Amino acid sequence: MANWKRVLLWLGLGLIVGVSAGLYLGWVAWPTEFTNTDPSILRPDYKRDYLVMTAQAYVLDGDLTAARRRLYSLGEPEPDRWLLQVTVDAILSGRDEASEIRPLVQLAHDLGLSSPAMVPYLTGSGTGGIEADVP
Amino acid sequence: MFRSRRYTQVHGPRPPLPAATLLLLGLLLGLAGGLFYAWLINPIVYINAKPAQMSASYQEEYLFLVSQSYAYSGDWDTAEQRLAALEARDLPQRAALLFERYLREGEPAESVRNLADLTRKLGGENPALALFNPTPEPPVLTATPTRPIATPTATLLPTPSSTPRPTQTLAPTITPSPTPEPTSTPRPDFRLLSQRRVCRAGEPAPLIVVEVVDAELEPLAGVEVVVDWVDGQDRFFTGFRPDQGAGYADFIMAPDVSYSVSLAAGSPTIGGLRIENCTNGQPGGWELTFQNLRLATPTATPTR
Repeated sequence: MANWKRVLLWLGLGLIVGVSAGLYLGWVAWPTEFTNTDPSILRPDYKRDYLVMTAQAYVLDGDLTAARRRLYSLGEPEPDRWLLQVTVDAILSGRDEASEIRPLVQLAHDLGLSSPAMVPYLTGSGTGGIEADVP
Repeated sequence: MFRSRRYTQVHGPRPPLPAATLLLLGLLLGLAGGLFYAWLINPIVYINAKPAQMSASYQEEYLFLVSQSYAYSGDWDTAEQRLAALEARDLPQRAALLFERYLREGEPAESVRNLADLTRKLGGENPALALFNPTPEPPVLTATPTRPIATPTATLLPTPSSTPRPTQTLAPTITPSPTPEPTSTPRPDFRLLSQRRVCRAGEPAPLIVVEVVDAELEPLAGVEVVVDWVDGQDRFFTGFRPDQGAGYADFIMAPDVSYSVSLAAGSPTIGGLRIENCTNGQPGGWELTFQNLRLATPTATPTR
């Protein structure tokens, strides 16, 4: 009986140390490398920033396919709806019109999205260029 | 004592394992179990992460987007904040590498230019950056003894004088000014100087070689070349291979494809370029030389 206790003691001690070392190595020292990690892991404010940059790049290069790919890479369950939400939020919170609102509105519009809040920016009073689908 | 028991109980119960063996066994089992759990069962999943935690390819995409955003808004403070989120010490080098890759892959010129601006702003270095100066200046022509090209200087323009010579007649459209007005952005105009088939031994594939020279036959770098074929287009710039000369650019031809070549700044389109066999049976490419004419023309000419 004492022999079993002895075995359990040393084996258990080894297990405790081994598991601890394994968890440390697996989580801290050599964590799993996700080679295909995409922008969906980003914090919400970084995601929003990424979307604004995507819209600005779209205004410059007109590449709707790339813009859609970038939007979808952000991993939102409903990307279009989220884009519309960010756009309307930008309008309602008074973000910079030239650098944020207009690119977002243009991207949303060109992806077939619409909102009453976007209409003033679609009629193109300022920098122009976006035709509103107003009946 | 332990030894004596082993020797005395030869056919008795199994001797107990040493403590060190037990500890090592437990350690190995624990280590394997811990790693299995940490790597496979419950790996670390980053959420609410910074761009620095994205994979390298997405970090490149992020860097590209920052360059585009900076080009769009001109807001360097915001661009710096975004770049800081990458937590990379080698940003200039990474930007320079990305710029070079975009240039090699024939990405749109405007995108490459924006990346060049960002790279330059970060202090990155790349020989091809010189092709994308923020404010491109036309080559300055200097008078040569061999060709009577008039240098556009103020002395060549008729100047207002209180006692004009009666024999000199000024054209009514000319507004005399003491200093010549430089043209804002002179659009170069190129002509095809020569076209010939090239048969180079040792080339892995036939090339369309484009050489661009200025009015005085000096190589001209940074000229955008456009190659079109039936279902595609490529754009690239002269001067990216300095070993071949500043005015050099090339393009790898594919069999059974007809290409047409022109310069984005304005030139005749040279079409029907296909791989053709040379006299020795080897497939040959083409070499086109374009010459810049417009900049050779003096902007101010004497009226007499």
